[in-house]
Amino acid sequence: MREEDSIYRNVDWLTIMLYALLVTAGWLNIYAADYNPIASQSIFNFDINAGKQLVWIATALVLIIIPVFILDYKFYSAFSYIIYGLIIFLLIATIFFGTEVKGSKSWFEIGTLRLQPAEFSKFATALALSAYLGQINVKFEHLKTKLIALAIICLPAALIRLQNETGVMLVFAAFILVLFRQGLSPWVLILGFVSATLFVVTLILQDKILIMQSLAIIGAIIIVTMVAFSLLRRKNIKIKKILVRAGLIAGFCVACMIVVFSVDMVYNKLEPHQQKRIMILFNPESDPKGAGYNIKQSKIAIGSGEFIGKGYLQGTQTKLKYVPEQSTDFIFCTVGEEHGWIGSSMLILLYLFFMMRLIFLAERQRDKFAKTYGYCVACIIFIHFTINIGMTIGILPVVGIPLPFFSYGGSSLWSFTILVFIFLKLDAHRRQVLGH
Amino acid sequence: MNIKKSIVLRARLAFLAVFLFSLAIVMKLIKVQVVDGEKWRKLAQENIMQYRVVKATRGNIYSDNGSLLATSLPFYKIAMDPSRVEKEKYQKGIDSLSMLLSAYFKDRSAEDYKIRINLARSSNKRYITLNKAMVDFQTKKMMEKWPIFREGRNKGGVIFEKVEKRFRPFSYLAMRTIGFINEDNQGVGLEKSFNEHLAGRDGEALFRRIAGREWMPIHDDSEIRPKQGVDIQTTIDINLQDVAESSLMRHLMEHDADKGCVILMEVATGEIKAMANLGKLPSGEYTEIYNYAVGNEGLTEPGSTFKLASMIALFEDSNMQLTDSVETGRGTYEFYDKIMTDAKPEGYGKITMQEAFEKSSNIGVSRKVYEHFHLNQQKFVDYIISMGLADRIDFQLKGEAIPYIKKTTDRSWSGISLPWMSIGYELKLAPIHTLTFYNGIANNGKVIQPIIVKEIKMADQTIEKFETKVLREKICSDATLSKVKKMLEGVVERGTAKNINNTIYKIAGKTGTAQRIINKKYTQTYYTSFAGYFPADNPKYSCIVVIDNPKGFKLYGSDVAAPVFKEIADKIYARDLDMHKPLLSAVGNQEAFPVIKGGFYEDLQFICNEMSISNHLKAEDEEWVRANPVNRAIMWNKLEMKKDQMPDVTGLKLRDALYILENMGLRVKCGGVGRVESQSIPAGTIISKGMQVNLIVSQ
Repeated sequence: MREEDSIYRNVDWLTIMLYALLVTAGWLNIYAADYNPIASQSIFNFDINAGKQLVWIATALVLIIIPVFILDYKFYSAFSYIIYGLIIFLLIATIFFGTEVKGSKSWFEIGTLRLQPAEFSKFATALALSAYLGQINVKFEHLKTKLIALAIICLPAALIRLQNETGVMLVFAAFILVLFRQGLSPWVLILGFVSATLFVVTLILQDKILIMQSLAIIGAIIIVTMVAFSLLRRKNIKIKKILVRAGLIAGFCVACMIVVFSVDMVYNKLEPHQQKRIMILFNPESDPKGAGYNIKQSKIAIGSGEFIGKGYLQGTQTKLKYVPEQSTDFIFCTVGEEHGWIGSSMLILLYLFFMMRLIFLAERQRDKFAKTYGYCVACIIFIHFTINIGMTIGILPVVGIPLPFFSYGGSSLWSFTILVFIFLKLDAHRRQVLGH
Repeated sequence: MNIKKSIVLRARLAFLAVFLFSLAIVMKLIKVQVVDGEKWRKLAQENIMQYRVVKATRGNIYSDNGSLLATSLPFYKIAMDPSRVEKEKYQKGIDSLSMLLSAYFKDRSAEDYKIRINLARSSNKRYITLNKAMVDFQTKKMMEKWPIFREGRNKGGVIFEKVEKRFRPFSYLAMRTIGFINEDNQGVGLEKSFNEHLAGRDGEALFRRIAGREWMPIHDDSEIRPKQGVDIQTTIDINLQDVAESSLMRHLMEHDADKGCVILMEVATGEIKAMANLGKLPSGEYTEIYNYAVGNEGLTEPGSTFKLASMIALFEDSNMQLTDSVETGRGTYEFYDKIMTDAKPEGYGKITMQEAFEKSSNIGVSRKVYEHFHLNQQKFVDYIISMGLADRIDFQLKGEAIPYIKKTTDRSWSGISLPWMSIGYELKLAPIHTLTFYNGIANNGKVIQPIIVKEIKMADQTIEKFETKVLREKICSDATLSKVKKMLEGVVERGTAKNINNTIYKIAGKTGTAQRIINKKYTQTYYTSFAGYFPADNPKYSCIVVIDNPKGFKLYGSDVAAPVFKEIADKIYARDLDMHKPLLSAVGNQEAFPVIKGGFYEDLQFICNEMSISNHLKAEDEEWVRANPVNRAIMWNKLEMKKDQMPDVTGLKLRDALYILENMGLRVKCGGVGRVESQSIPAGTIISKGMQVNLIVSQ
């Protein structure tokens, strides 16, 4: 009998193991990041970050994992909109009643406990999006569906933007990847990718006329080549089809030009520190004491680990506070410094394995809700992983988002735990639902 | 493409994307960690290793008898890393710590301190400065016992940052002469002039950064050890300096003058024993703000003290006798279009040259000089120059003013230049120059260079010694010398300064009252001075007193500056037995000091002051003191008294000892009269009320 299948037997222990590995490694590295050889505080000292993180881990186990498993699996799809609504309400409330921390008004203080609703908006949005797309009568091919899905994503993103948490907002781009899996035209991704490339190129070259001219020339060449090929290859030429294609290409070029033209507008909309963070990528030496300092120190820490690293607790750059936020956003520096390329690659391998496993689990879901949710989880973790590690090694601008399971902080650990374990719960009951 | 196929493709694409991105990161990591690893490792080394300056300790400045005038003491800035403290200890100690901080610094409430520290702790700040004020070593020791702080640097989070600060034990005394120097090497006084010696040379060493913003030196070959600064021993006598400064201060205040200075110099050696400079602040207080004695701001027309030079020129160039007469008329005399006046409105009439000098008759001196030199005016100037008055003395303090003596070839030389120069106008001297000249007369015509630094020393080892340097071997003949000496003594005996005449010892000197120039016009404000030496028979000290712009009715040098001279001379005479005539010393006790070993400060101070014994209290507000005779002065040391500890009462009069001990609740048994010779409970023993102590008292 399926009903008798216990959750222990059906749950994916491999994922749980990977999760436990990441959390433990994170905890050990948080201890290393702050370790002071003279004071030599114990890892269980609750006054230091590592001790506090242990509390967060323990509470995550008791307050999140167990309840998530105990609740009926249907609860998540049934209550997804309610959870989503609740979070939206919290996000709005934070804007008015939140506590300001480092320029972002995104924290809620309940006694001594500080929570960041934006962190929890990720799984709520994932639930709501999956619930919506999981409805039998909803077809993604319809424009209306796409618009509603977009609205579900954009509402919390906009609220988070109002809280000045640009980093967390960027994470919502993960949902676009999910929509792609659902059948979103690849052109959206291509256009996004091309726009980003053009944005960067324009910023580097600072010569819009040149770029626009090149775009026009490239467009013209493509059109001419296409027309020429069509004329040569086919006898029954469909003029109309050729024209449409040429028009599309021309339109694409014009869109690109608009992007190029609006670079300054977008760029100037950014905060000065954000502008600097972008420029620093292309010219790391441009501001060595200012915005470039952090990224340089981060690279020094990681780079000085070389191939095999300096050994656990032997790093100097992170402990001596050269690296900023060394136990939260820049925790990867500690790994890089103390465990070298080998350790870093192993960590990346671990994440890779974890994400692949999630995609694999998502693909094996019969329920559309669970499948979409699985993709959401994988994509959110993927975005965090890429942006976080990318910024510490200087291939992406500095964006303040944590490394999942690894970075110090209760809100992010809890939110990732909820995210993953709801999916594991759904996965454990995958045989109990009828596939579509 | 059908939907199914498309979705499979998209899933594969997802796998591929994740894989590719991870690969990209790993590739980038290879670049950072393996390819460029070497470079980053070096930068990391640079981050934690640094060449840092190791400050050389600055040398000390000593007085003539080795008392410290300026030294570098360690002071501490108190900061804290509140995140270091364990929760339990923090919560237990924070209230009392805040209270102690507030009670000590008195700048903010205990609550304020607590909030600040709490805030820093909750926001995980690693460093907060608790107070900008610095504390000395004793206070630091005390603070190390405070709650939380007593856990130390690592567990209590307390950070004492050491800063070397210049400390002058005698605080304001000779402040400007000792001077200062700041980080940009700007400064004045001895600190600046002898900076090269005092400063030493900073060293450099490789430091390694350790946790908690600290740097640890690594002693390796590259270390350059700092060369410690050497000490300088000055000629300043701190007691005389005190006398000079307080006397000057009193008279400046009495006359509401703008500024003033005193220089006291030993005749034979040129050693400056005291150099006091006081200027009025906008608030009306006087403080050492500029070295008028030496610097440019002190350069001015000296007035009548210069008549001495004129008289010497006359005596040297002619056979003029003291009894030769001069007609000073009715108090006014015209040189070309300019009228010269005398202080006495109706004039002195026909007087001798000696009288003219003693009464400081402008007309008498200038007429005689004009009469004698008007055909060869440069000759007069040459005499001035030959006396060394036109030269700098190359004083050891930087910033010496350059004397200004007009020459006949100068464009500004006019018909009235000669007569006016003869009475100390149309030329400029700083007090140190005038004094050097007067000292030369006291020293029988031998002009010697004033010195303020005797030796440069490293511990007890002399590095450089400054010997007395003769500037001019003989500025006039002995005949002239005896004439001018007689006149200088006459000034005090019956002349303008007879108000400072006394029967015990003789002073010789000359008053000066020059009109001050404001906006290029002579005004009815005065620059008063008195230059001279004592005892006149066998001069030991020369001294100049300058008081600029006194206010009130008595504005002459005799009324304003001379009394300061007298006060200083009196004090020196009182304590300097060598000066006493044999008769006097036979009468007095052989022991210069009454036996003072210790007792109640106010009483002892009163006795000493009455007996003109120079005495100084090291700390402030001590009730009970112990005497420490230094040379001919007494330094009062604090009599150590701690609660519930037996004090050392030996040497005290029985009366004082009884008072102290019985007030502490002890029962005292004693016999005899006089001073306590020994006590049955050793000093420092913990005592309790009702304990018995036996004192042995003897004469």
